[in-house]
Amino acid sequence: MPRQPIVKSTTALALVMGLLSAAPALAQELTVVSFGGSYQEGQSKALFQPAAKALGIKIKEETYSSIADLRLKVKAGAVTWDVVASGSGSAARAGSEGILEKLDYKVIDTSSFLPGTAQDYCVGGDVFSTVLAWNTKTYGDKGPQSWADFWDVKKFPGKRSYRKGVAGALEPALMADGVPADKVYKVLSQPGGIERAIKKIRELKPHIAVWWSSGAQHAQLMKDGEVDMITGWNGRFDVAAKDGAKVAYTFNQGLADYDCFAIPKGAPNKDLAMKFLAEISKPQYQAEFTKYITYGPTNKKAYEGGAIDAAYAKTLPSHPDNAAKQLPIDLDWYIKFEAQASAAYQNMLTE
Amino acid sequence: MSAESVAAAAGPDGDFHKAALRRDQWRERLGLAGLAAPALLLVIVAMLIPMAWLFGLSFRDDAGALSLEHYRRMLAEPSYGRTFRTTFEISLATTIICILIGYPLAYFLSQLPRRAANLCMIAVLLPFWTSLLVRTYAWLVLLQRSGLVNTWGIKLGLWNEPLQLVHNAGGTLIGMVHIMLPFLVLPLYGTMRAIDGNLLRAASSLGSTPVHGFWTVFFPLSLPGLAAGASLVFVLCLGFYVTPAMLGGGKVTMVSNRIANDIELFFNWGAASALGVVLLAITLVVLVLAAKLSRGAGLFGSGH
Amino acid sequence: MRPSGDHERPHGAAAAMAGSVTALPITVRRLSKAYGAVSVLDEIDLDVRPGEFLTLLGPSGSGKTTLLMAIAGFLRPDQGSIRFGEREVVRLAPHKREIGMVFQNYALFPHMDVARNVGFPLRLRRVAATEIARRVEAAMETVQLGGFGSRRIDQLSGGQRQRVALARAIVFEPRIILMDEPLSALDKQLRERMQIELRQLHERLGTTTVYVTHDQREALTMSDRIAVLNRGRIARIDTPRAIYDEPGSRFVAEFIGESSFIRAEVAGGVCRAAGSIIHARQLPVSGGRCTMVLRPERLHLLAAGEGEGMNCFEARVTGVIYQGDTLLVQAVLGDGSPVALRLATRGGAAAAPLVGAPVRIGLAVEDTVLLADESGEAP
Repeated sequence: MPRQPIVKSTTALALVMGLLSAAPALAQELTVVSFGGSYQEGQSKALFQPAAKALGIKIKEETYSSIADLRLKVKAGAVTWDVVASGSGSAARAGSEGILEKLDYKVIDTSSFLPGTAQDYCVGGDVFSTVLAWNTKTYGDKGPQSWADFWDVKKFPGKRSYRKGVAGALEPALMADGVPADKVYKVLSQPGGIERAIKKIRELKPHIAVWWSSGAQHAQLMKDGEVDMITGWNGRFDVAAKDGAKVAYTFNQGLADYDCFAIPKGAPNKDLAMKFLAEISKPQYQAEFTKYITYGPTNKKAYEGGAIDAAYAKTLPSHPDNAAKQLPIDLDWYIKFEAQASAAYQNMLTE
Repeated sequence: MSAESVAAAAGPDGDFHKAALRRDQWRERLGLAGLAAPALLLVIVAMLIPMAWLFGLSFRDDAGALSLEHYRRMLAEPSYGRTFRTTFEISLATTIICILIGYPLAYFLSQLPRRAANLCMIAVLLPFWTSLLVRTYAWLVLLQRSGLVNTWGIKLGLWNEPLQLVHNAGGTLIGMVHIMLPFLVLPLYGTMRAIDGNLLRAASSLGSTPVHGFWTVFFPLSLPGLAAGASLVFVLCLGFYVTPAMLGGGKVTMVSNRIANDIELFFNWGAASALGVVLLAITLVVLVLAAKLSRGAGLFGSGH
Repeated sequence: MRPSGDHERPHGAAAAMAGSVTALPITVRRLSKAYGAVSVLDEIDLDVRPGEFLTLLGPSGSGKTTLLMAIAGFLRPDQGSIRFGEREVVRLAPHKREIGMVFQNYALFPHMDVARNVGFPLRLRRVAATEIARRVEAAMETVQLGGFGSRRIDQLSGGQRQRVALARAIVFEPRIILMDEPLSALDKQLRERMQIELRQLHERLGTTTVYVTHDQREALTMSDRIAVLNRGRIARIDTPRAIYDEPGSRFVAEFIGESSFIRAEVAGGVCRAAGSIIHARQLPVSGGRCTMVLRPERLHLLAAGEGEGMNCFEARVTGVIYQGDTLLVQAVLGDGSPVALRLATRGGAAAAPLVGAPVRIGLAVEDTVLLADESGEAP
């Protein structure tokens, strides 16, 4: 970690600010929660601390594990958080459930955002992709390039790993079954669509050695060479490859998704939170964030002006060249069908 | 006794301090109850209240209205039934393997001189000093495709293709048995140590061979320890999360894994609470049945 | 798993209780056992006669329990021979030795009721169920516990447990019974009653019995013969009376009965102690220094003019203790050696002497015991 000194100084800064915040009304304070780990560390350094400096406020950071935690706080009427980081799907459902504040897009400028990455309740922060990755020791450079290849156990013999949860699991199956990318959600919304996808996965089940359940796990599986082919989040594979893992992936037929920021219903500093979101949605912040993990900006302007190295930009999921190859996740479909799909998926898994 | 109670007892009572002495006794009892109060309070606050709360949550739908929705879903989807079956199968298998390994181990330890037994016991308990996660991860490192066992097995020519040792029920069992073994051995060892060696000598002097003496005397007397250890292991297994999640490869879905999955999916404690309530209920039923059965089979009294 | 050796004997509790079973002698030769440099059994030779009640008596660490365990087969000796009758058993497993054994803590099986405990050896020998029931009941009657068969062990008192253990040890008619301090856990009164009961039972059964105790009174009460053990050797083996009256060594005299010891000197066929000339049935052959044994109950407090034909000492009373059945008088002789006297307290007995009073103590010549000093033993 070459950035170690910065970490130390920011921790010290946070400490000093924490001490100062004990004295009331010296400066306004926002409480921001995210998922912790290297992801939140990047957010803190690229987004939260610089934005706080720019706005002249203080930031208190916390971590949480899922929206269920927030739901409890809102139901109990004890909201202490002002801004939460979340997956797009979770945020969409939380918004429809009424535990998030509607965002004011007069304050937050999303005019240059990728289409669909600014929802009513959640503004996009970074784009990632669920991609097909493979073990380069097994397949060399001639790895699988499509979901059809992933399913082709004759052409590509080897152990597969697939996601244990239903999110992002049905779309590849349909594409492998010959459904064009732009028809995937249409088919999935029709009666029998979910079953069709699950039937296709059941076909591959004997070749799936591991059903992964976390990003850390799927990165580790590739690092250890435990499987030959896997689905997973592109940023994790880049980190694993940097650590020496024999892994490569393609954005082709990847599922583009994004992480976003939302404001809980009844947040103590709602207006300030809105201003804060407006600040961190600016391109310069998003460009800075890509330095910490290969997740792309939602604000297209971040690619302009050379803030991101051109060659590096081409490796990010939201780069126009890559974005074109991918299927954006349809949040509306998830709001409507995820519970039903998950039940069917779990039945298939436990068969 | 406090100074004032002494003063009260010395008061000018006509009835030989009868009232004062009774008062002292009450005060003493209250004092004793007071000693238990912190623990009692902790149990109530940290266990009973959250349990009752989860119980209540399981009967409410997303909107907070009373509903059997979560229980109905459990009946409607076959995956829940299978999850419960897997949970009990894995727990039972772990318990049986633990008994098969742990009983001879505890017996061996109980026959050693105390000093040697204590040393061996440290070896048995050593795993307790490292975290569960580390131990489970160690098994992953050992058993995976490129792990130590497969590397050496192939190098020594024992097998040619890597064996699938982990990411399945077998790997899960290996990990769980390793973690659970001390829970079986500890109570069993204690019980075995307490068995009077003269009983076996007596049996032997009365004509029983060592094997016969073991089965008619030692084994029946070790059963209470075995029952305690086995039920401890079984119940702990029922709630296991980390090991099946890491070594099961997603193919061994235990109830606690399902609870985590449902919380993620439904954002909602109700569905998860319902699973917890059902697991608790089934566990209680199983334990009561086991207790009845073992009493019926005559742990004490009929033997032979 | 049928142990061999019992087919030829007649079955039936009544026959056994009538003592018709042939008793076996036990012959121990050069039996040794050492733990490291510590020798617990040192080339022991012992003959237990058929039907005899022999007690192994000694302080803790004398080897008495070790010897018993070696006979039972629970302890493997380093060398030596143990024979039951003609049969060499030193390498035989304990379950093949056909021994009835009673343990100090009874060793009753807590998970079986009384009848199952007592029937245990019979079940092992595949005796028919009805026969087992009959013989168990007979054994229970023998130990005066008829009708207790269905009791649980934890419902029994210490004395009752002792009887059950005994019934279990005799029910299969062993020809040898071993007992390891079986009465030590009982209170004094019960212990004394059980001593007599055990003795009577032995007389009825006639089984060769080896009994271990550290209680000399118990040994005196019950035994045909007593073997006194000291440091892994048999110091003395004889009848209780012979051992009490002629201990033969200071160790035995100290261990059996209470005694005061005073220095004596033999010169020219005359023995002197504490300023008096001592007469005895036998003077030590070697002469020179020796020790005189004074049993408290054999000493008399002499009135003026008494003491004709006795060994007499002048003494001064230092203490008087009333103990109910006896009066214990402590005194010092002229040479300063302390002695104790035990006087009867029944009506008409002499009044207790006063502390500090000068008295005269007498000892009959036939009660006078002189021990030659053992070589190496400090005076």
